[in-house]
Amino acid sequence: MNLFKILAELEQVDPEVADRLNSRRSALSALGNISKKITLASAPAIIGAAFNKTLAQGTGSPLADVLNYALLLERLEAAYYTRALQASTAPALATAFSGNATLRTAIEKIRDNENAHVALLTAALGSAAAAAPTGFNFAAAYTDLPTFLTFAQAFEDLGVRAYKGQAGNISRTATVAANTSVTVTNAGQSSTASIGGANVLQVALQIHATEARHAAYIRYLRRQAAYATAASGSIGNQFGWITGKAGNGAPAPVYDAGNPATTFPAEDNVSQGGLNLTSQLAATYTAAEVSEAFDEPLDSATVRSIASGFIIP
Amino acid sequence: MPEASSSTAPSGLSRRTFLTHTGVAAASLLLLTACPDPETPPVVTPTISLTGGDEGVLNYLFLLERVATELYAKVLATPPAELTAADLGVLRDIYRHNFIHRELLQLTMSANGFTANAGISAQSFDYASFTLTTRLGVLNAAQSLADLTVAAYCGAARLLSSGVLLRLFVKMMAVKARHAAALRDLRTPGSFAATDVVPQTGAEAGLNQVLTPAEVLAELSKFTSPVQLSVGSLPTS
Repeated sequence: MNLFKILAELEQVDPEVADRLNSRRSALSALGNISKKITLASAPAIIGAAFNKTLAQGTGSPLADVLNYALLLERLEAAYYTRALQASTAPALATAFSGNATLRTAIEKIRDNENAHVALLTAALGSAAAAAPTGFNFAAAYTDLPTFLTFAQAFEDLGVRAYKGQAGNISRTATVAANTSVTVTNAGQSSTASIGGANVLQVALQIHATEARHAAYIRYLRRQAAYATAASGSIGNQFGWITGKAGNGAPAPVYDAGNPATTFPAEDNVSQGGLNLTSQLAATYTAAEVSEAFDEPLDSATVRSIASGFIIP
Repeated sequence: MPEASSSTAPSGLSRRTFLTHTGVAAASLLLLTACPDPETPPVVTPTISLTGGDEGVLNYLFLLERVATELYAKVLATPPAELTAADLGVLRDIYRHNFIHRELLQLTMSANGFTANAGISAQSFDYASFTLTTRLGVLNAAQSLADLTVAAYCGAARLLSSGVLLRLFVKMMAVKARHAAALRDLRTPGSFAATDVVPQTGAEAGLNQVLTPAEVLAELSKFTSPVQLSVGSLPTS
């Protein structure tokens, strides 16, 4: 068993790590080559597996790449909810939303959160922000309310896995450039606030937590008979977490393993730190319970591949 | 069953002995010796002070996990009759997830040569500020601790120096947020991301609330009274 033995696993991930850590100066210069809009105060002494990736990406702008990837997913989600709430872009959903104020308010809340994420990431990236894609195609998801909710669950769970997959790629000390401000618009009311100096990893994980709240709520909605379909399977027995790798009608790749599968296992993974947690803890747990207790990360190539069906580049 | 083993929590230590254990602040002991007047013995607040580095951060999470797990153990041992089947399903799931998290944290600390804080026994946790005999009281308590935990995780990520531990940390973190949202929706449907935990405007718009260890421990100390929890040497950046 390895049980997250820090140094042992570090060496396994990167056999040359000892050599690299001996040369803190070169590590600093490799890490320092980033977007001018994002500043690194200093490199942490040890950043584990992420160290390897950051160095391997060479002369690009790894942090801006990570944030632009997050921005693409947030734009997709923001567009998904924005269009769903408009009769002109999602006519099949109009009756459902106009007839249920509670549902409409909740989906508007999620939309507002996604719009705020887009605004924040765009502001943090500044001139390094990528252009928005030409468009999105959600026709397959807007056919009725249950289908809309099924895909909403897929996008939220995918977002949660995507952020988790990047957590190790963001330096703990990266901050948003001074004098950066974000403007958020809710119901036509705009407000501007400074985000200069904000810790990028912390902000990314705050977004990640919000997405997980959304994901739990969408499952809560789907659990209710009024929103269920035959295709959604046994969602009635599930709560806000992912049991095994059950998507309950959502696309299976959202819950499957990424690449490499050892780093990005499927959501039904029951091993953490080299231990099978169903049998190797003091008490015995079912595979369902253990899989629910941990959300698994997913690599960007797999996430992009899943999302690409909805994006017009 | 996990319920049955709740009292196998990693500390069976009495308050009497906790001062002698690792992780307890030397500060309160110093306070004792600093007072020269034998006539007026100083009032010493028992304090658990966290150590530095990843050991301290993991112990910080461990404390949160212990307080939350014990709450669910208590509630599920004698659940209020008005809890619905869905309520009980959610509470049982969260209890088991938390139990798994707590045990894994403890094993991880042990495997890395860290000392798990044993400064207070689970039996002495104090939930008196909540009415655990009613549905609303139970959901209030569970939601408060779940929201506190998510905010704590948001603030603690950058304090971990090991990338290996960060990967484990984020796997648990999203599940904590799912717990908080599920509990909120049991209590008030649609409140999964209400503005008290995810602001709608300003610099924190769309972001889950974040709390520093000092803010979290001040709140958590209400459950460990009279023992006060202190950040001690926890990393600050």
